[in-house]
Amino acid sequence: MKLLRNLLKSPMFVIGMSLFFGTLLFALLAPLFYNVTLDRVGEQYMSSGSGYILGTDHLGRDYVSLLIKGLRSSLYVGFVAGIIATTVGTLIGIYGGFKGGLIDDMLNMVTNLFIVIPQFVVLVLISSSMQEGRSLTLIGLIIGCTGWTWSARSVRAQASALRSRDHIALARMNGDNTLAVLIKHVLPYLLSYVFMIFIMQIASGILSESAISMIGLGPLDTQSLGIILNDAKANGALGDGVWWAFIPSTLLITVIVFALYLINTSMEGVFNPRLRRE
Amino acid sequence: MSKPVFEVENLSLHYLTRFGSKVHAVTDVSFEMQQGEILGIAGESGCGKSTLVNGLMGLFIPPLYPSAGDVRVAGESLMNRSEEDVRENILSRKVSMIPQGAFNALNPTRKVKDIAADVITAHEKSADRSGTYERLAKRFELFFGNEAKRVLDAYPVQLTAGERQRSVIGISTLLNPEMVIADEPTSALDVSTQKIVIKMIFDLLDAGIFKSMIFITHELPLLRHVANNIAIMYAGEFVEKGTAEQIVFSPKHPYTKALMGAMLSAEPGQKSRKPVAIEGAPPSLAKEITGCRFAARCPVARPECKTGKQNLRMLDDRLVRCDYAE
Amino acid sequence: MLKQYPTARFILQRGGWYFLTFLVAVTINFFLPRLGDNNPVDIIMGKAGSGLSTEAAKEKEEAYLKEFKLVKLNDAGEIVRDDVGKPVRASSFEQFVNYVKMSFSGDLGTSFQKYPKKVLDVILEAVPWTIALQLPTIAFGWIVGNLLGALAAYRRGLFDRFFFPGALFLSAIPFFVFGMLLVYVFAVILGWFPAMGGYASDIIPSFSFSFFGSVAYHYVLPFFSIFLILAGGQAIGMRSMGIYELGTDYIKYAKWLGLKEGRILMYLFRNAMLPQLTGLALSLGTMIGGALITEMIFSYPGLGMAMLTAIQNNDYPMIQGVTLIITVCVLIANFTVDILIGFLDPRVKAGLQMGGN
Repeated sequence: MKLLRNLLKSPMFVIGMSLFFGTLLFALLAPLFYNVTLDRVGEQYMSSGSGYILGTDHLGRDYVSLLIKGLRSSLYVGFVAGIIATTVGTLIGIYGGFKGGLIDDMLNMVTNLFIVIPQFVVLVLISSSMQEGRSLTLIGLIIGCTGWTWSARSVRAQASALRSRDHIALARMNGDNTLAVLIKHVLPYLLSYVFMIFIMQIASGILSESAISMIGLGPLDTQSLGIILNDAKANGALGDGVWWAFIPSTLLITVIVFALYLINTSMEGVFNPRLRRE
Repeated sequence: MSKPVFEVENLSLHYLTRFGSKVHAVTDVSFEMQQGEILGIAGESGCGKSTLVNGLMGLFIPPLYPSAGDVRVAGESLMNRSEEDVRENILSRKVSMIPQGAFNALNPTRKVKDIAADVITAHEKSADRSGTYERLAKRFELFFGNEAKRVLDAYPVQLTAGERQRSVIGISTLLNPEMVIADEPTSALDVSTQKIVIKMIFDLLDAGIFKSMIFITHELPLLRHVANNIAIMYAGEFVEKGTAEQIVFSPKHPYTKALMGAMLSAEPGQKSRKPVAIEGAPPSLAKEITGCRFAARCPVARPECKTGKQNLRMLDDRLVRCDYAE
Repeated sequence: MLKQYPTARFILQRGGWYFLTFLVAVTINFFLPRLGDNNPVDIIMGKAGSGLSTEAAKEKEEAYLKEFKLVKLNDAGEIVRDDVGKPVRASSFEQFVNYVKMSFSGDLGTSFQKYPKKVLDVILEAVPWTIALQLPTIAFGWIVGNLLGALAAYRRGLFDRFFFPGALFLSAIPFFVFGMLLVYVFAVILGWFPAMGGYASDIIPSFSFSFFGSVAYHYVLPFFSIFLILAGGQAIGMRSMGIYELGTDYIKYAKWLGLKEGRILMYLFRNAMLPQLTGLALSLGTMIGGALITEMIFSYPGLGMAMLTAIQNNDYPMIQGVTLIITVCVLIANFTVDILIGFLDPRVKAGLQMGGN
């Protein structure tokens, strides 16, 4: 597609995609090449050089293993949350924006409600009341179900503008019912837009997960980048200068989110050429 | 004959593309305007109208450059001036613009009177604010009557499209410019509003608020009512120029004829014509063009048309750029 | 009658909507913790009847059950027990009504961990710290970020080339992660600033210079953790907005009219700022949440720490109280921004006048 070719010309897109897919591939393939173990392998907070490149944590576990596991979990939650949030937001946005009228008003009200009630608060309330069963999937589910609001707003704006476009009107005059019109005409046009939303939702999901894990309400019995950070803080690694306890995790979160932002911005540049550097 | 208010002499304008090549958007345009004259310029999209307009205002801002020629307002040349000079002394004072889609041209978060006052403070030193608003009220009363105060105090969103259009015309003519360029001032307005706007233009012209006007549109029948003279533009050149009657009732250039034929005209005394679309597209202006620029689409083109350069010649009291027209 | 005063109508309308949202928030605050199978309410009910707790714990649990009317009480205010000594549960409806009443009268129960201190008192001690940190940080971050973004949009070129990727990178870092980095570099390695606390641990809060000096000293790192990231994010958004506005008809007209450059910049900012304000309203909840976690990193004595200690100690009334207050703060902030937008954008009030919503 011409779109893809234009995108590939943008350095931001290439860098972003490489970074993100590089990290993804690393997360997926690393266990094949590296012995990922969560057993105790040494003393508490041993520095690198003791045979383990990134040293050990407060329980004497190998940090590289922890990071690989954490990376996989965080990416997983990001994807789950991203898929759910994008789907819910897109459906609500398309349906409301396209139909207009009373349905639109009602959906708008619901969206506004979800916007104003902080996602963070809902996460805390649900997590704190579940002493067990906080799996990665569940956390991803909750984040997705509470983070769809801005997607719905954006998609609604697009769908609403499309409503008055000519080729849609033609299709309707031909007698296609709303669902058919939506699928055949509206969706292909919005596809690239929805993809951009998906990218941002993944980023948002990863950020939300690290936030909730940071306060100890993250997924149980597993590792994630946020949990690694929480452990570092809780065990005083910060104050004692044990940099390998949090810097790598920090870097990973930042790099992934930055890569996703790059992809999103470069796609924006392709759709709105004025944004590109002139 | 009094001195012309506005003179354009062999004006040529070009763009510099990113790769360093030149696009000759306007080639060798000349005309004069007298006090009280309305000149209509018509042509399809891409004929160079917008570039010409920027040039006529002295806005030679990169990548737009003048290649040759001169533009003079009341005897003063617009060429070789700094951007700040043009901004302060020419824009709004000598040459003013009423843009296309004028009703969207008003800053939505600013009241009409404040936008108008901005024009005054931008061009006059030490403007006394309270005096300014009285001046605005008096000027706006000319065309809004006792609605003037309401319009001035309003935000654009509170006005109808026609009121916004008239406000823009009022703001553009605030400093009594010599020449006003109106770019499609009546398109997208309903017929009754169009009449009000055109009446406003005539009233202002008669009162001497501005001295001359270039009226750009693609609706030739409209120009018949509004303009004294009409120039037809194609691919950056004037291909025919004459009085409104001449152009509308007896066009000579094949392009003008095609334009007229492409319009349905409901004028009394004219036979109704069938709409004929002009096929093809204007030539690219990035390369040197040999021969007549319209030759590729001309229904009566001859082989000679593709080689010889067509110059403007007088035919039946008007200028035509076609050696074979009659 | 009210049609005469569009401003008043606007404020009332938005206020009414936010009040409704508050009711929904109270409802959510009540029901969410009870969703899971093993939720705290059940746990406490179970413990209270089984005699497994110590005397002190028992006292707390019973106070909790009574306060929140989770169980039936007889005329003397004593817990009604059944044959085996277990408390008789009140219906969910009764519990809910009681909770709403309590919330409206400002009674949020008694803290477990700080028994017998009331939840509201703990919160009231923490709130000033949170507001003092977050309000200026978010406000300045928004203003500075947007100004920089507008500048980047107007003057493209070199400034934009370096500024844009830099700001984008900054905006990708979560507040609290950046906080950790700042602590590590400036507190642990360089030792220039303190790593924790709202003020030095050996000073007693008072209206003295040394106290305020200590507060200011401890303010720096938390402030910059939030400010820099926020400003970066706003700058990115404003730059896009500014570039878009630069192509609009009214800016082109302003240039054709020969308005001064400063005036055109003002037009640009004034208009591009509006969608940015709307964006602020959308992300306030997330911003405040992130800032709260940043407070936790610095053990800053605000709502963030209050929530963290509550979570770590399973202090349920405290958790519930803090979340409600946080929601209220977010609602108030959103309401303020909404009103601000209404005043700054004439199109909003005009939309009301024309009967729309």
